[in-house]
Amino acid sequence: MNKKVILVGHFGVGKTSLVQQFVYSKFSEKYLTTIGVKIDKKVVEFDGYQMTLLIWDIAGETEQNSVSKSYKLGSHGIIYVFDLTRPSTYENLDKQLDYLKTLLPNAPIQILGNKKDLISEEELNSIKESIPLSFKATSAKTGEHVEEAFIDLAKAML
Amino acid sequence: MSKGLAFDKLREILLEKDWEEREEFAQKLSDLDDQLNSRNRLEEKIQPILDDERESLRHRFPDLFGPQITETISKQIRESQDEVVEALYPILGRMIKKYITSEIEKLSEKVDEQMKLAFSWEAWKIRIKAWFTGTPQKNMIISKLIEPKIEEIFIVEKQSGMLMGSFSKNHSVDQEMIAAMLTAIKTFVEDAFKSETQELDSIDYDNYKIVIKNFKSFFIAVVTSGGMSMAFRDKLDDTLLDFAEKVLRKAKDADEEVKQERITSGLEQYFDNFDKNE
Repeated sequence: MNKKVILVGHFGVGKTSLVQQFVYSKFSEKYLTTIGVKIDKKVVEFDGYQMTLLIWDIAGETEQNSVSKSYKLGSHGIIYVFDLTRPSTYENLDKQLDYLKTLLPNAPIQILGNKKDLISEEELNSIKESIPLSFKATSAKTGEHVEEAFIDLAKAML
Repeated sequence: MSKGLAFDKLREILLEKDWEEREEFAQKLSDLDDQLNSRNRLEEKIQPILDDERESLRHRFPDLFGPQITETISKQIRESQDEVVEALYPILGRMIKKYITSEIEKLSEKVDEQMKLAFSWEAWKIRIKAWFTGTPQKNMIISKLIEPKIEEIFIVEKQSGMLMGSFSKNHSVDQEMIAAMLTAIKTFVEDAFKSETQELDSIDYDNYKIVIKNFKSFFIAVVTSGGMSMAFRDKLDDTLLDFAEKVLRKAKDADEEVKQERITSGLEQYFDNFDKNE
């Protein structure tokens, strides 16, 4: 079973680092901006199923509608990433998600608040209170909840 | 006790320690002087420090001096282009000569093979074909030497970039990744030129040409090597259209696994002997 997953969100939120952590179990402090799109592949196994994820890591933009929609078309699942340390990356989350839901009505969305390793539990709780949507707090650096996030999305795409 | 003797005794008592220390310092100074002025002894002391420093510098050299060296080399190249060309010319010349020699050897081997077949049925076929078509016989032989071959075929869903089926002679590449990357490249080119009605139909890379045949919901990418002739392209187009109509249309509604199986076996059926029939 093959599925196309796209990673979207503002630039510098850690989309590429999440993919690197998930696919290669690696993390680098260096920031290299993604140009266009980068594609990776990983086979995941869960509950007796085997699924090949083709992960399209799409270059970040502040507004989703300014990214080429052609890269997103045909996706089976979406991972929307924001940066827990930069409120500007989750301020208009509703609007961004509405756009994606309209474009890909059947694709489940997994929302990730990345860079958990850089904030305290109190700060995380306060962010959770300020965002009305449920999200998973991840750290591409330590790998916390990264694999879990992709597997949860894979299950939702079944 | 006389006054003088008493004074001497007092001086001895008071300064005895100082004299001892002075002698000790004098000895130390003499040793130090000996160490500094004797090359062997100085080397013995300093060499381990120098070795450590040299080792540390060797490791840190790229970080410490890399940018300056790069800048210096770039500046030198910019300012003395003629000298650089002069220095590189013999090396590049030799490389090019070596490459051309190797290619000529390959061509010569192929010509030899053809010459051996001069009186074969294949050679007579070329002569007759040349006579009928008016194409010089040598052109037909050369085109035979660099005849195009199909290396890989990918059937790819247009929007998602998912691989629907594939055909490969060497199975050396990750076909799912290639299908996705081809879709991304196609999408990028088509978006960049904002061409709603035009689509990317070929990509040239080294000795390879990727011919892309676009359909409504999918595209077929054929990776070919060798010289692409009009006749080959025509035959390829016709075969792809026939394949799309007879195999893809029927497989369209099947579930994912069955669809992929049918497409892959259809591709083998259509393209396994495609080059041989040419």
